Amino acid sequence: MTEFLVDSSWWVPVYGVLGAVVTLPWSTGLIRRAGSRPAAYLNIVMTVVALLHCVILWTDLWDLPALHVDIPWLKLFDLNLYFSIELSRVSLGAAVLITVLSLLAQFFALGYLEKDWALGRFYALMGFFEGAMTGIALSDSLFSSYALLEMLTLSTYLLVGFWYAQPLVVTAARDAFLTKRVGDLLMLMGVVALSAIAGTLDYAELTAWAETAELAPLTATLLGLALLAGPIGKCAQFPLNLWLDEAMEGPSPASILRNSVVVACGAYVLIRMQPILSLSPVVLTTLMVVGAITAIGASLVSIGQIDIKRALSHTTSAYLGLVFLAVGMQQDEVALMLLFAHALSKALLYMSVGSVTLTTSTQDLTEMGGLGSRMPATSLAFAIGSIAMVGMVPFGGFWAMQIWAERVTVGAPGLLLILLLVNGLTAFNLTRVFGLVFAGEPQAKTRRAPEAPWAICLPMVSLIVMCLLVPVMLLQWELLPSLASVRSPLSLAIIGSSVVGFGFGAFIYLNPAFEHPLGLGWKSMQDILAQDFRTDQLYRVTVVFAVRRGARLAAWFDRYVVDGMVNLIGVASIFGSESLKYTISGQSKHYLLTVVIGVILGIASLGWLF
Amino acid sequence: MLSILIWLPVLAGLAIACLPEAIMTPTRSRQVAMAIALVILGWTGYLLTQFDVQSAGLQFQESFDWIAPLGLSYRLGMDGLSLPLIAINSLLVYIALYCSDVNLIRPRLYYSLMMLLAAGVAGAFLAQNLLLFFLFYEVELIPLYLMIAIWGGSRRGYAATKFLIYTAISGALILAAFFGLALLSGSFSFDYEQLQNLELPMTTQLILLVTIVVGFGIKVPIVPLHTWLPDAHVQAPTPTSVLLAGVLLKLGTYGLLRFGLQLLPDAWRVIAPALAILAVVNVLYGSFVAIAQTDMKKMVAYSSVGHMGYVMLAAAAATPLSIAATIAQMISHGLISALLFLLVGVVYSKTGTRNVDVLQGLLNPERGLPLIGSLMIVSVMASAGIPGMIGFIAEFLVYRSSFPIFPVATLLCMLGTALTAVYFLNLINRSFFGRLPETFANLPAIYWKDRIPALIVVALVIAFGLQPGWIIRWSEPTSLALGTLGDRSTTTAFVEANPLTLPLSAPALVD
Repeated sequence: MTEFLVDSSWWVPVYGVLGAVVTLPWSTGLIRRAGSRPAAYLNIVMTVVALLHCVILWTDLWDLPALHVDIPWLKLFDLNLYFSIELSRVSLGAAVLITVLSLLAQFFALGYLEKDWALGRFYALMGFFEGAMTGIALSDSLFSSYALLEMLTLSTYLLVGFWYAQPLVVTAARDAFLTKRVGDLLMLMGVVALSAIAGTLDYAELTAWAETAELAPLTATLLGLALLAGPIGKCAQFPLNLWLDEAMEGPSPASILRNSVVVACGAYVLIRMQPILSLSPVVLTTLMVVGAITAIGASLVSIGQIDIKRALSHTTSAYLGLVFLAVGMQQDEVALMLLFAHALSKALLYMSVGSVTLTTSTQDLTEMGGLGSRMPATSLAFAIGSIAMVGMVPFGGFWAMQIWAERVTVGAPGLLLILLLVNGLTAFNLTRVFGLVFAGEPQAKTRRAPEAPWAICLPMVSLIVMCLLVPVMLLQWELLPSLASVRSPLSLAIIGSSVVGFGFGAFIYLNPAFEHPLGLGWKSMQDILAQDFRTDQLYRVTVVFAVRRGARLAAWFDRYVVDGMVNLIGVASIFGSESLKYTISGQSKHYLLTVVIGVILGIASLGWLF
Repeated sequence: MLSILIWLPVLAGLAIACLPEAIMTPTRSRQVAMAIALVILGWTGYLLTQFDVQSAGLQFQESFDWIAPLGLSYRLGMDGLSLPLIAINSLLVYIALYCSDVNLIRPRLYYSLMMLLAAGVAGAFLAQNLLLFFLFYEVELIPLYLMIAIWGGSRRGYAATKFLIYTAISGALILAAFFGLALLSGSFSFDYEQLQNLELPMTTQLILLVTIVVGFGIKVPIVPLHTWLPDAHVQAPTPTSVLLAGVLLKLGTYGLLRFGLQLLPDAWRVIAPALAILAVVNVLYGSFVAIAQTDMKKMVAYSSVGHMGYVMLAAAAATPLSIAATIAQMISHGLISALLFLLVGVVYSKTGTRNVDVLQGLLNPERGLPLIGSLMIVSVMASAGIPGMIGFIAEFLVYRSSFPIFPVATLLCMLGTALTAVYFLNLINRSFFGRLPETFANLPAIYWKDRIPALIVVALVIAFGLQPGWIIRWSEPTSLALGTLGDRSTTTAFVEANPLTLPLSAPALVD
């Protein structure tokens, strides 16, 4: 049985894609009479199958060393491409996490998109999305990881553009695709170069190669930077971070996955590439700098947002910045643990937010308030998600941060400050959102808000339970440090920063006597944060400007210079023949004159020549 | 066996054109043409089963003496380079006939010209005598010129004349080079086999090769010889555009490989760096100009200019892997550009415009063109090199194989994939996303016959994308043979002895 499951492990990503393909008659509108529900059920069944497959493999292979399954794809001369699969605790665990969250998100979508006419298309895209992600989790070669990351880019584009009739959605989908594409392009350059230099794209062989490789420092740096660009785009790190913020125009069930596991996929690939990145210290430094800038910048920006989904999306970038820092310090295990804790709690937060936006039909924080008593399950989900995300004993976020603080800050104590800052600011921001949405006086749009329907509450409550169980899971996997370490100064600092963040937030936003400012005070500060430190203007004056100008210049050159020259030759030859035709007069004296002039000119030129 | 591919359509074309109107009604002529195209497609399928994939040499050879004093003989043969191109020609001719307007004017002339075009292209890919190749290369010009001039858009006269003049110059240059080769060979024979392995001085070789490159470069097209292409595409009717982009541009790159690389491999290696630079120019220039276009057809036409640059890049690298990549990219571009033109054709026939500034919200599920829009998204993504479709693996092979030879040029060419995404995403965002305006609220009904051709090509694009081995297996031995031609040491010696002749072979690009 196990052997069969191992041999068929390549089916895990295929299930999702198969679900998408089977749904095509509904998503393309061929079947209209039966409604789109069967499409949704089909995809949910496929996800359940994928989940079962992963879980059984995971439990069966738990105690075994990692297995490799190679599926040959294309062999051509010295190029040998295959899709290899790694079956290990980590990779299967990641696949289980993805399928569980995908299942919950799809269930959630049953309630969230109940009245949407394109339900079939949505589920097809979700199936595709899930397939690409589980593929990345199991992939054991950089080639297939890259290919799947590109597929993820495509499905992100289509999911963000799901409501394509709205103008903001149109630009958001385009920006998501192009921003990620910039990262993908640089990564492709890295992959091609690496394939030519190392002769293989298999992770294990690459790691072995990296140990003995003797590359020129410049080559190693350029290679590493190119490879780094892909995860920077995927994980929404500065300067490729704005797409995630804009992507919040898409449907909420997709946002659940996007903010929890999709960004994690980029980081996961980054972790797999770590041995190659380590070839150059410059690359590792860049990685750390990017992570640090994003962690602090995005934490600040999130406080300035008045859109409920965007306020949370920036914290995703910030946490992924912490993951980047961990990878930069070569602490892969820490990075994975933080990704795991973050994924669950962020998914829960987004479910809660999705439930709020569905019942209030708005995403604007200024229009909300007083939902706590009206939506108890939703507010509980938000509260648990917040606590699980920041460093509070004994929830998942705390343990991840505690290990982060212990291992990553070795030799670089300054990093601890970043962690505490991010943690404190996140705690403050979450309290801010909680206060604005769930506490205070009800407003026009929240006065009659009921609790979300069961199809939304069921996955939400399940996820609450899972979030609460994270410490138990960590204990089972023997990832928890000894209880004594809780009393260490590092832990106390983390808890302290959370408490300060929560406290400040509560003082401002949960205190009825206090008038609620939206952000941090000062108008100009507030503006610059709300506009993401004007990063979009940075794009506008650099890449967008260059491409637009280049295109106009090229088109002008093409039309007036290249084609103009061709037309000029055409016109000149017509003009020449038109004027020459007047020499054909039909009178012999004219011809004779022409001959005489010709002869004189001929003789004259001969005389001049010799 | 191979003659059937050429003479069956010629006979059918004659029959359609010459039989009296009473027998050959417009409907009948369409049926005959499609039946013949189907037979040809089937015959190509049969040839595929008979083809020996292990052999690098010519197969199914046919040979008759024709006009011996001129060195003209009727010699046909097929190898791993011509086979995929023949296959794509047979397929696209059928699809072009299928999507031709049923009610077009002068149907009998149209269908007989289509048949003649199919025969001419097949003949050019199969001919193993240089003069015979030239004849077919010119024959294919006549139907194309007439198709643009008769069934084209509002500026058809200008576009058709431009096309004719450019291609005639291309033909003249090629003929000159062929005569040069035949004269210098000593035996004055145009037979392909006798012209291989000529011992010529390098300077002579270079002169001949540059003539050949410019001649075929017009057809590819290489910037700045490309301006006939956008005009021809924009004015040509959809089926002609499909064939023009899908098959006829490949005559240029086929000619470069067959008569450039294979006949003059040493000289090819000398000018390869220059070709790589031209490829970069093609890719970047074509992509940038495409971004600024508002006419969908022009956008697709300029994207063709860009994507043919990849073929040039891999051809310049000339290693076994890169020749395989050249062939894969030719197939990939043939299918994807044909698909794009098919879809743009449907959009144009239903909405009456191709302007992306005017079109909007065509994905609308009730009153728009949702399935055509979805297929458009798929084809655009295939063109931008998203994995799972043939564009990705073809481009990956091009980059991977050219990188060791021309690292800088390859990296620059890769920018093209991102630029492709820019202009095609623009196309999708502007014309398919958004709200459907009232002006397009009552589009004519769309039938399955509008969708089926595109569906077939999409299926192929995805199938080959998932199993690229299916297109690459045919040409492995041929790629190996082509990629190992020539002696790299003579090339290096020549470049070192004449450092001023080729300033373009900068060390950064050839190391």
